[in-house]
Amino acid sequence: MLRLSASTFREQWQLFLGSILTVAIGVALVQSSLLILVTAATLEAPAGLSTLERAQLMDSYALAIPVVGITLALALFLTIFIVSSTFAFTVAQRRRDLALLRLTGGNRKQLRKLLLGEAALLGLVGTALGVPLGLALMRLQSQLLVMFGFLPAGFRPGWQHWIFAVSVGIGLGVALAGVLAASRRAGRVRPLDALRGTGDEARVMTASRWFVGMVFLAVAVALIIVAQSVDPSGAMPLMMLVTLAAAVGLSTLSPLVVPVFGRVLGLLFRKHTIGTLAAANVRDGVRRNAATAAPLIMLVGLLVGLLGTSFSSTAASEQTLHRDTAADLVVTSPADEAHRIPGVQAVANASVEVDVPLVMTNVEHEEDALGGAMESGNARVVDPDDYLRAHRVQPVAGSLEQLHGQAVALGPGRSGELGYSIGDTVHLKIGDRQLQLPIVAVLPTTPYGGPDLLLPKGIAPESVLPSATAQTFVSTVQGADPAAVGDNIRTAVPGTVDSVDAWVQQQAAAEQDTQLRIFTVLLGMASLYALFAAINAVVVITAADRRSEFAAARLSGLTRRQVVRMAVLESETVTAIGILLGGVAATGTILGMRGALERMSGVGVVELPWLAIGALVAGAFLVVGLTSLWTARSATRMSPISLVSDE
Amino acid sequence: MRMMNTDLRAEPAATATENLPAVELRGVRRTYGKHGTAVNALDGVSTRFPDAGWTAVMGPSGSGKSTLLHAAAGLESVTSGEVLLAGTDITAASDEELTSLRRDTIGFVFQNFNLIGSLTAEQNVALPLRLGGQRVSTRDARDVLASVGLADRSRHRPRELSGGQRQRVAIARAMITRPAVLFADEPTGALDSSSAKSVLALLRDMVDTSGQSIVMVTHDPAAAAWADSVLFLSDGRIVDHAHSPTAPGVAERLAALEV
Repeated sequence: MLRLSASTFREQWQLFLGSILTVAIGVALVQSSLLILVTAATLEAPAGLSTLERAQLMDSYALAIPVVGITLALALFLTIFIVSSTFAFTVAQRRRDLALLRLTGGNRKQLRKLLLGEAALLGLVGTALGVPLGLALMRLQSQLLVMFGFLPAGFRPGWQHWIFAVSVGIGLGVALAGVLAASRRAGRVRPLDALRGTGDEARVMTASRWFVGMVFLAVAVALIIVAQSVDPSGAMPLMMLVTLAAAVGLSTLSPLVVPVFGRVLGLLFRKHTIGTLAAANVRDGVRRNAATAAPLIMLVGLLVGLLGTSFSSTAASEQTLHRDTAADLVVTSPADEAHRIPGVQAVANASVEVDVPLVMTNVEHEEDALGGAMESGNARVVDPDDYLRAHRVQPVAGSLEQLHGQAVALGPGRSGELGYSIGDTVHLKIGDRQLQLPIVAVLPTTPYGGPDLLLPKGIAPESVLPSATAQTFVSTVQGADPAAVGDNIRTAVPGTVDSVDAWVQQQAAAEQDTQLRIFTVLLGMASLYALFAAINAVVVITAADRRSEFAAARLSGLTRRQVVRMAVLESETVTAIGILLGGVAATGTILGMRGALERMSGVGVVELPWLAIGALVAGAFLVVGLTSLWTARSATRMSPISLVSDE
Repeated sequence: MRMMNTDLRAEPAATATENLPAVELRGVRRTYGKHGTAVNALDGVSTRFPDAGWTAVMGPSGSGKSTLLHAAAGLESVTSGEVLLAGTDITAASDEELTSLRRDTIGFVFQNFNLIGSLTAEQNVALPLRLGGQRVSTRDARDVLASVGLADRSRHRPRELSGGQRQRVAIARAMITRPAVLFADEPTGALDSSSAKSVLALLRDMVDTSGQSIVMVTHDPAAAAWADSVLFLSDGRIVDHAHSPTAPGVAERLAALEV
């Protein structure tokens, strides 16, 4: 039996090389993310730092952990998705061979053993390539993380011996899992099938395929509903799950859509022979076309869905920030200069707000690995009356009027996450001053965030002020020209003066920038993997499935050029299917996020990353088209008659 | 259309011998489709294929020849009736039982050879025994290949062989298990006449020298003329039966059926 595998391997190496590479890349991605995650989680701050510096450093590492953690989860998920769809497809491709084995006396168990044995072999070879590839990838990925400021310069994830076992387990596990269901189905191949047709299963949409597709779509819908009742910060990870579930569901159900597209193509090219032929091929090759579309659905769903979610939430925070800011100008200056702003002519109100870094000690929480129960935070020292005039916000509990003397208010930044409620006492340390302050007000969470805490004036030690920066929100008197007032402030105070519009835009741009970095880390490798899977599907299908079909087309009078055009047209139609279904998955995601944002802030916006979408669509058509062009050309290089008469 | 021979329940003469028939069908019916649009591919067929004899099955396209062969070989279940293979009732056999039958009791040869393209001739030939869990020496496989006249082609892959040679590899693969019955579905359908002749001569020799039982479906009167007897099928029924056929005689009867 193994000899049979080995010789099949020699014959259909493209089929198996594709499988090996999908395993190898998957293993490399998972291994790299896992090693970075483990190293980042065990990072120790260097000795000799103050408590605050230590807490801030640990906090910046702490951001890397969820980012890399989600990257890891995504890598694992994609590996399972891509490997299993690739392996299942290769099994379906060999249906006729398997039926022939049944005809010559093979029983079901032997067939399954053969397929599982092959899968194990491919999984192991894939892992053997994946482990060194993972090390190279790890270097790349950690450089990216350092460059984007998620990890400190000089961060070097180390090799762990146990990772080898994990990688082997993943490579072997996904390969076997991928082929398990397919091998069970292959075991049911009837010997008579060897005598009929191309050997492909007549029915692609089996009952289990319906079931799996429907379950994943239902999960996606359920997650969208759940996301309507959580904060946007919590909704964001949920949206990623929505995209994944919807992409899997739509990929599974895509054989239902493929023939429809075939029909549309047929209508578009009614009078065009090659077009009609390509349309017939799209309808006929439902399984192979669904297999090509699957990674594209995932790619488009993830990229458009998540970037769209991010753009929409940035747009929402820009709009709400604009809505909630009552001032005309924002002055950024050293904290000890800001007191002069209220005295400038035509200034009606100036809310001087000084950001002070601090360390919060959460006495109720257990010690954790990240430097004890301390975390860094940022507080803003404000005058509550000025603050209320400059910002259109109302506390959800308590009152800002009481923010005087020894008191603290939970700010809009993380008010829900910190685990405090009104009346609790917050232990914190500013500079060298230890404070225990009661919470007198809780501000609502906003899409644009803000400080963790609001502190009353006079509570911060004078020593921290010279190094601090103040933002002053200035309202001008009725009838005054804000630009002129701005000029007056500029002459009085060193610093920058922005109109509120410009300032909001800067805030949004900064937020966008951070999000883009996160998504580059999250989606960069994953997207390339999905794109590779799409290319692989085209290569494998053409190499394994279509040589004799192309040859027959040429024998019935098509020129080589026409055959190639037919193949490219078919591939581009499949690309369109992938992009459209991916777009459906992304739309669900983005609309889900819009609902979550609207519920929280009253602003429901959808902002799409058109540039990225355009690049993605053009790139997908280009890459799949070129791959198809190349494979169809090489598949038609030999004289057609030698291919038709081939076994 | 009316049959020339009114003997509807055609019984091959060989049933008179003491041997069990190689295959026996009793009132076999095979229906495709649902009630309204049901088609009887086999409409109550009863016949015996004699042991150590070569029976050809002929008939117009759609007469049920292939269905008859598939039902007799246990590749397709029957709607009603019984199928006995080498004395065993396989009508309700499980997949495992049918698998072991394919390993030990029956062999197949097809029009399109159905060799595994990635295996050499000798590996293709050894495959059924390997699937049966036996160790096969290269020698055994080569001996069988030599018996079909391909001693010098054992290391070739199917695509490096001519059509006639491929079909002889397929016969060698079918014969390595020494099956009680060899089922052949248009074995010469894809061959030129001289290759066809050499394949048919090989089958004839297997019947004459080692008493092989063969059931062969064919379109070709010249091929049918090599058999011991010919069954004629039309619309799922056996309508005629000829012994010691000649090509012109078979062609004439077939032509009458196709009117």
